[in-house]
Amino acid sequence: MPTTLPQYVATWLPEMIAAAGNTLRMAVFAFVFAICLGLVLALARLSGRRILAGAALTYVEVIRGAPALALLFLIYFGLPSLGIVLPAFLAAVIGLGMNGGAYVSEIYRAGISAVDRGQREAAQTIGMTSGQTMRYIILPQAARIVLPPIGNYAIGLLKDTSVASLIGASELTLRARDLSSEYFMPMQIYLLSGAIYFVMAAPLSAGVRYLERRLRRGR
Amino acid sequence: MTAWRHFFAILPECLLILLRAAVTTIEITLGGLLVALVLGLAIALLRRSSSRGVAVIAAAYVEVFRCVPVLTQLFVIYFGLGQIGFRISPLPAAIVGFGLNGAAYLAEIYRSGIESVPRGQAEAGSAIGMTKRQAMIWVILPQAIRISLPPIGNYGVGLLKDSSIAVAIAAPEITFAATNLINQTYLSTQIYLLMALLYIAMSLPLSHLVRRLERRSSRGVRA
Repeated sequence: MPTTLPQYVATWLPEMIAAAGNTLRMAVFAFVFAICLGLVLALARLSGRRILAGAALTYVEVIRGAPALALLFLIYFGLPSLGIVLPAFLAAVIGLGMNGGAYVSEIYRAGISAVDRGQREAAQTIGMTSGQTMRYIILPQAARIVLPPIGNYAIGLLKDTSVASLIGASELTLRARDLSSEYFMPMQIYLLSGAIYFVMAAPLSAGVRYLERRLRRGR
Repeated sequence: MTAWRHFFAILPECLLILLRAAVTTIEITLGGLLVALVLGLAIALLRRSSSRGVAVIAAAYVEVFRCVPVLTQLFVIYFGLGQIGFRISPLPAAIVGFGLNGAAYLAEIYRSGIESVPRGQAEAGSAIGMTKRQAMIWVILPQAIRISLPPIGNYGVGLLKDSSIAVAIAAPEITFAATNLINQTYLSTQIYLLMALLYIAMSLPLSHLVRRLERRSSRGVRA
């Protein structure tokens, strides 16, 4: 049994780092899900087809109106009554990804509309179809513009995975809760878990700031 | 289908319970926002302090609070402070937690607001004999805060939804009330859907208001 704080930390740290690996995995899966879903939603909204655009808009508004936690609870606690039982980790990835898709689609949309109109007109003048224009002219330029906000979304997502502990998904915050009910030292344990989140998020945050500065200079 | 029939039979009662809990959600949101507005402004101003030490501490505050989940911050305040003898009940703990967290975000919003006020404004202030401090209070801040209003509004709408996380420290808000109802009725799908609808009913009008504010203020700047 450990007696001093460094000994306690040495006991907790390996378990928490292993759990932080799960946090990262959850964040990466949800991120990939969100950026794909977001692209589909953004293209649907800009497609010019009313039904498609309307469905995408409704999705975005509804998802952005409710807390991510509500979506996680619905997927994890609600779906079993329809006979769909998902493991907590998968439910968290799906919930965070569905939630993120709505936010990311708005980022894409803003990025696509930020590309100068003349670019689209120029592409059509040289005979590109609207699909080709989007693929070769608009999206590559929009991608540059959306990088910093996508980075900020990724930082937010990394932290939001902590909410998955409330449906019992195995990640850093759940591990911290378990440890704190085992050792009765919530202050030390939660501060330590906070430090681990900081170590994961701070480099991302510095990276986003670097990107923002570079893009501002590029203009 | 019997579950849905049962749900509709008890719907008025459920709605009443959730609406009563919505008062707590609003208390957490407004309380947290108020703390964040005041503390955030102080931090934004301290970051501009001519004393390097003060500026670095303010910047560190922003970085630390923005890189740690708000749930962790709530746990430190509620369970951590409780352990060392400062027992706070869930509601004030949530307000303090969201307030401290929000201050970091609002400090950044204020900062970009202050930076987007043209330099000439400060120079004009000192030209008519204002001290730096007077120019900040009477010339820069009123314009900066006006620019900051839409992002502050967005932050407020986000906070309304994020307050659901306070369920983890048993603050008696909407999510907590919904979870309690489910423990009594086992109608998890129906009640969580109702809960989501309630959040949407509160946040959608607010976010439309913010969007209108955004359009108005961008028009004002261009004119």
